[in-house]
Amino acid sequence: MSAARRIQVHVLRHNPRDPASEPRLQSYEVEEAAGMTLFLALTEIRERRDPSLAFDFVCRAGICGSCAMLVNGRPRLACNTLTKDLPADITLLPLPGFELIADLSVDTGRWMRALSERLQAWLHARETEVDAARIEEPMDPDLADRIYELDRCIECGCCVAACGTAQMRADFVGAVGLNKIARFSLDPRDARGDGDFYELVGDDDGVFGCMTLLACHDVCPKQLPLQNQIAFLRRRMARAGG
Amino acid sequence: MKIVYSDVLVIGGGLAGLRVAIGVRRRGLDAIVLSLVPPKRSHSAAAQGGMQASLGNAIKGAGDNEDVHFEDTVRGSDWGADQRVVRMFVETAPKAVRELAAWGVPWTRVRRGDREVIINGQRVTITERDEAHGLLAQRDFGGTRKWRTCYVSDGTGHAMLYAVGDQAIAQGVPVHERKEALSLIHEGGRCCGAVVRDLVTGELIGYLARATVVATGGAGRLYRVTTNAVICEGIGAALALETGIATLGNMEAVQFHPTGIFPAGILVTEGCRGDGGLLRDATGHRFMPDYEPEKKELASRDVVSRRMAEHIRGGLGAQSRFGPHLWLDITLLGRAHIDRNLREVKEICQSFLGIDPAEQWIPVHPAQHYTMGGIRTRHTGESTTLRGLFAAGEAACWDLHGFNRLGGNSVAETVVAGTIVGEFVADFCESGVGDIDLPTALVRDAVAVQRAALDALLASRGTESADAIRVEMQQAMTDGVGIFRDAAGLESAVGRLEALLLRSRSIAVRERADGPNPELVTAYRVQRMLKVALAMACGALARLESRGAHFREDFPRRDDANWLKRTLATWRNAADTLPTLDYEPIDVDAMELPPGWRGYGARDYRDHPDTARRTAEVQALRDRMQAGDRREVQAALMPYRELLPARLQASNDRLEAPA
Amino acid sequence: MSSSARFDSASAPGMAGRSSPWPARLDLLQSGTGLLLALFMWVHMLFVSSILLGNDAMWVVARFFEGYFIVGRRVPALVALTVATVAALFIGHAALALRKFPSDYHAFRTFRSHMKGFRHEDTSLWYWQVVSGFALFFLASLHLGTMLTRPGRIGPFESGDRVWSDVMWPVYLVMLFAVELHGGVGLYRLALKWGWFAGPDPNVTRRRLRAVKWTLTVFFVVLGLATLAAYVRVGIGHADHYGVPYTPSWIEVPAP
Repeated sequence: MSAARRIQVHVLRHNPRDPASEPRLQSYEVEEAAGMTLFLALTEIRERRDPSLAFDFVCRAGICGSCAMLVNGRPRLACNTLTKDLPADITLLPLPGFELIADLSVDTGRWMRALSERLQAWLHARETEVDAARIEEPMDPDLADRIYELDRCIECGCCVAACGTAQMRADFVGAVGLNKIARFSLDPRDARGDGDFYELVGDDDGVFGCMTLLACHDVCPKQLPLQNQIAFLRRRMARAGG
Repeated sequence: MKIVYSDVLVIGGGLAGLRVAIGVRRRGLDAIVLSLVPPKRSHSAAAQGGMQASLGNAIKGAGDNEDVHFEDTVRGSDWGADQRVVRMFVETAPKAVRELAAWGVPWTRVRRGDREVIINGQRVTITERDEAHGLLAQRDFGGTRKWRTCYVSDGTGHAMLYAVGDQAIAQGVPVHERKEALSLIHEGGRCCGAVVRDLVTGELIGYLARATVVATGGAGRLYRVTTNAVICEGIGAALALETGIATLGNMEAVQFHPTGIFPAGILVTEGCRGDGGLLRDATGHRFMPDYEPEKKELASRDVVSRRMAEHIRGGLGAQSRFGPHLWLDITLLGRAHIDRNLREVKEICQSFLGIDPAEQWIPVHPAQHYTMGGIRTRHTGESTTLRGLFAAGEAACWDLHGFNRLGGNSVAETVVAGTIVGEFVADFCESGVGDIDLPTALVRDAVAVQRAALDALLASRGTESADAIRVEMQQAMTDGVGIFRDAAGLESAVGRLEALLLRSRSIAVRERADGPNPELVTAYRVQRMLKVALAMACGALARLESRGAHFREDFPRRDDANWLKRTLATWRNAADTLPTLDYEPIDVDAMELPPGWRGYGARDYRDHPDTARRTAEVQALRDRMQAGDRREVQAALMPYRELLPARLQASNDRLEAPA
Repeated sequence: MSSSARFDSASAPGMAGRSSPWPARLDLLQSGTGLLLALFMWVHMLFVSSILLGNDAMWVVARFFEGYFIVGRRVPALVALTVATVAALFIGHAALALRKFPSDYHAFRTFRSHMKGFRHEDTSLWYWQVVSGFALFFLASLHLGTMLTRPGRIGPFESGDRVWSDVMWPVYLVMLFAVELHGGVGLYRLALKWGWFAGPDPNVTRRRLRAVKWTLTVFFVVLGLATLAAYVRVGIGHADHYGVPYTPSWIEVPAP
């Protein structure tokens, strides 16, 4: 067996709250292990080399969406990225478009909450009261699967970081926002109609701001069908508004 | 010093915490949720396979009801559970799952007509009923007699967390993200908030509340290999322990999930086996029927994990550079099924193992998964010893799970306990006992204590590394407090942990800035985690029997005569190096289902002296009321319904079971 | 009643019907004008390339658009009318597209660094769309202006003179690439934007559309280069007779 590869991990270091801190790239050499992910590499760096290195991991299984970052320029989840799939030089930058907390840690949580509030991204039930002791309303099994397909978004922020439009226009809702609207508009339990959704995304910060660069679709770690969904939403919103 | 006031402070932004907050908000009270991470990133999202609720829509679930769910859960718990709490839970679970359906969870639905499923390795055609078409579907899970697990493909926790998280936003529940509670503020046996550290700025803030709810999840990170997220460090339990008043129940009851992927420990759902997946050894042999002819791969998790570990010990594990493991074979389920119902599993296999589970077997090994123990509470969720402190979900020992939790019961517990405890918290706040009269000096003192502790760490000239201690702690727990336990191993673990606790008082951090300082966080957390680890190890060492997930090789029998009781751990003084253990008896005479054989696993156990009498009593009553309604029989055996909040007492409707 | 298990749910705010319909309309207009212009560009190229079939062919095409074969005489105003229509579409499209341009230098720089770090084809293509659109703003305006003021000077020799003797070939060369890139990418993006030709697998759809786009672009660029070369050849050969229009041999030369 050949000797383990040594990889160079270049990490952006910066604490915006510290006036003395200047953004800089710091390099760490790591010996690659079998099955090593960026989660394992960064944890090793922190435990053995640099305890001050800030980054966010929670589930480390590609489920929670905490650890999105730019890996050699591409937004992706660090936890399920295997180092063997990357060149020996790996540059890690914090996800752009979100407030930097420190190093690789960004505040996606507040951004996503503000988005949800702005888009009223929750199910607006038809009845204000549900009698939960009664048998539930039936739903077409295929429709339930289709809703789940869009419900799989983990709000990791990769689509926002990959989106040229979002990078230029801070108020653009991004694929994450458009997908949420598509998800609720598909759901017969939601009382809102296209007119209501038009109120939320029928402008240039919403679906008409999308310039179809489709990087969102290409980087989505959950492989959500964003290309089709945004087109679908655009058609419906064009009808609702025009 | 900043003080934040609210009616209710919820520590933890997962499913249980959010559901409590929504509940009290709807009662017109203010609730603030503290969360280490954005709430939708909580570990609840990692629950894959589903949530148990006895709806009985799927044909293989027909005939299911609260009684069957109750018995399965009690048997699963190895009679460690509080049976009244189990009753409250099984009664509320169908309501909770239906409420979630109304909140938008895209539950997988029943499709009418024939479909092929794999049962016991055989392809079988089952026919779903017309009248069930479009209702919530159920899949099979371990330790259950009916298909009861409601699911959303294999992203159930994610879909639930998003629906509940969205409702919290809709209700305007404020979530204070990246905030960590360092201690509970209490005086005169009354908890009234927490000292909280802002993980971004390092600022300490006093949070004052009439009721404080701990919903911080489990403690998997006390172990080296766990399915748990990196934030599941048992800090909620530690907060309670450090009050010196609140107790932790059954901390030695730690569940190991049979199918963590090897070696990373990432979970693949029990749904794999529920849907027909098989466990195989190095030779490809399906070994579980040899050990467990009744339930095979679908015995309860403690039993399956133990059998797997036993099989590996017997030299039959597949060898790899990381050590021996076994195989989970889901290839027989077919690609279409995997793509629709096990897609997270598929993604995990592709990302982390580089394999296609429709073609190849998955390397698995039992991994720490769940903490049955936690903050000991009454059925209301309130601590039995510290007023105003509540706990819900995995952080609590409510005690729904006893010594072993059934798959699908934890994600159900989060929302069920969240719903029930939320009501009791609101009742508490609305009643006179909910009032607090607190001098701010108390908050100032509590903050000062934490400030001093942090400053001491930042200024320490000690020589110990927080990360090194953490790794050693995880190793000690893995070596001594694992699936198989014995006196020697446990004594060694206790000794190692106690030494580590002493060493942890000399931790120095290299990075001396406050603010976003991960090393400082590790340092103060590991000091707390060690206390929880000691509560587990000491509880395990003291319990001279085997029950559920707690298996003593030197005491392999369940011993109801001596050990039908709950372990209670407290940490009396800050200077102590070991917890104080106490016991709470479980009353056989109050049981609806007296102790017996679980229906799987060992048949060899020692009865409690009251068991025979109670069993006869129960049987006599059942015989007498043979013609009666099952609810009346139940009420005569063990009344519980009035314990539930009034709005949860209604009987659940379900489809008629086919004759 | 105490025993009912009722839960509240967030209810729908009745809020439909306040937003302006204009964002939707403008978006449709931008797509619509773009579609028409791109289709026009292809048809235009096919007609212009008639020179490859010979001077007579090109002459027939040019006269056709002047209504020569219908009313029996040349009506260059008809050409001017077409040019005016295209110009209107062009100005409209430019104005609408301008909304999507980077709003200031900072936004432009952000996009460029994003694009460079990311190296994502559809993102980079948008940048080239913006650059080519910006170029067309001047080049196409120039060309449209010429056509609008001198609609009668279209023919093998007239056009050849313009290309060679008036030294317009560099303009046309750049414009050829700009317009094919801009229009090709524009149509491709339009199909994705509105979900035309969308199959069950979006990645397959996109791969196919991309293949079609590049095929068409290459085809029209090659055709355009050949056509431009033909006009250059005609222009060089006709340089000594600059200004003399072409007349097919089979037409009776009208009295001067």
